Amino acid sequence: MRPLTEEETKAVFEKLANYIGKNLVHLIDRDEDDAYCFRLHKDRVYYLPLPMLHLATSVARPNLISLGTCFGKFSKTQKFKLGITCLDWIAKYAKYKVWIKPSGELPFLYGNHVAKAHLGRITEDTPEHQGVVVYNMADVPLGFGVTARSTIDTRKLDPTGIIVFHQADVGEFLRDEDTMF
Amino acid sequence: MDVAQELANYAAANSTATLDRATPIISDAGLLAAFDNSPVDSDEYKMNLNQHLLALTLTSTQSLISSLFALPTKSTSSGILTILPTPTTILPREKPLPKPKPLTKWERFAKEKGISHKRKEKDVWDEELQDWVPRWGKGGKNRQGEEQWLHEVKAGDDADLDPAKTAKAERKARIAKNEKQHAANIAAAANSAASASLSTSASSSKGKGELSQEEKKNLRERRKDELKRSMLISKTATASLGKYDGKIEGEPKAKGVKRKFEPTSTKDFKGEKESQLDVLNRLEKGVGKVKKSKKGSAGAEGELNVRKAVRFQGKVDRANGKSGGGGAASKKGKR
Repeated sequence: MRPLTEEETKAVFEKLANYIGKNLVHLIDRDEDDAYCFRLHKDRVYYLPLPMLHLATSVARPNLISLGTCFGKFSKTQKFKLGITCLDWIAKYAKYKVWIKPSGELPFLYGNHVAKAHLGRITEDTPEHQGVVVYNMADVPLGFGVTARSTIDTRKLDPTGIIVFHQADVGEFLRDEDTMF
Repeated sequence: MDVAQELANYAAANSTATLDRATPIISDAGLLAAFDNSPVDSDEYKMNLNQHLLALTLTSTQSLISSLFALPTKSTSSGILTILPTPTTILPREKPLPKPKPLTKWERFAKEKGISHKRKEKDVWDEELQDWVPRWGKGGKNRQGEEQWLHEVKAGDDADLDPAKTAKAERKARIAKNEKQHAANIAAAANSAASASLSTSASSSKGKGELSQEEKKNLRERRKDELKRSMLISKTATASLGKYDGKIEGEPKAKGVKRKFEPTSTKDFKGEKESQLDVLNRLEKGVGKVKKSKKGSAGAEGELNVRKAVRFQGKVDRANGKSGGGGAASKKGKR
């Protein structure tokens, strides 16, 4: 376990900024008694409260499996990939959101893209290729993805057209259980 | 004591009876040596070692001496001498083979190009004299130009030109050039010999001349490493310590630089927070730039102009009494 280097921090923040934009400050600049930090352990980036960090320093590296919230992992080529485990945090600070109808929930949770027919609501003036968090109509976060069209362009689209490209969904907790942790 | 017994003892001590040998003893009179190739009789050897060795020696020596008496003799003033034949046994060399002379630059070139050496005769045929004249030296062909009593002056030459003098100067220059090349060859040969001896003394205590395949490889590796190291050093010899220099294809990676990370846990968390906020600030600026360039306007200049335009538009709108439009425009500009 170690702090991120500057390049790694940059890679992580760039990814996070796709979804939460300037709200990223709220992840870093927190109150003294509620401070969190980013730590790298076995190529995975964890976001954890400071007291937990102090406890975890006494665990040997091979024995430490996971700590705090896993935000994602670095590939061998040093590219950062966000994981579904970070959903709670980015759902909290998400800038652009997409709500899907109950009929579209299951297809999305099986790893499919969001079609226009399933789209319930979308944040106004969402640009194209913008990271968005996907919710169901009851405001439960289901995953995240990237918009295929801007909000204005979606109106012209036919019902089968893709609105949000799937990136991660909570179904992965079951599907990728073996490799997730 | 019996006289007969004493006589027998004496006879035994002075007996010239020799051992029976399975193979004849080979004697090489030229080297004054005799070789007994028969296997040793182990029983006899164990039983009575000294006696047996003495008998063996006696046998071999007798054979050698009898072979010497069979040789032709020659009577001289100092007595009769035996003429020894040339040795037939081949002995190993006392000293190692002489090292091949290091090639001169020309010899190396000639070898590479396959030019065979053509021996030059000392004398050359002179057509005008109809005689052989030496190639160099007194009255040599190479100084004919400076020794002739009459010189032809060409039309373009200077009035005060001395053809004999120039010819001599040219010849001297040729000699000087040759001497220089000769010195360079000697220096190169000495250099290579020195480096070879140095490398052998460093790697092993083997003979100076020939290097084994492994030693050559080691030497090559060492030279390669040194080259890599000096290359890396030279790469950092710029104002930016090589940070912004272009990479060469197949460039060696700098070794021996350990990764250094911040401590995992410190009491003071502010430093880490500050650095993260710093990264974030830079990121936001950078992201803004990228977005601008995507839209097609030119970097920082474009950003300035947009803001100015929005402000200007806001002023115009306020003057016209439509504040709503101006607000929307400024919002857009910020993003």
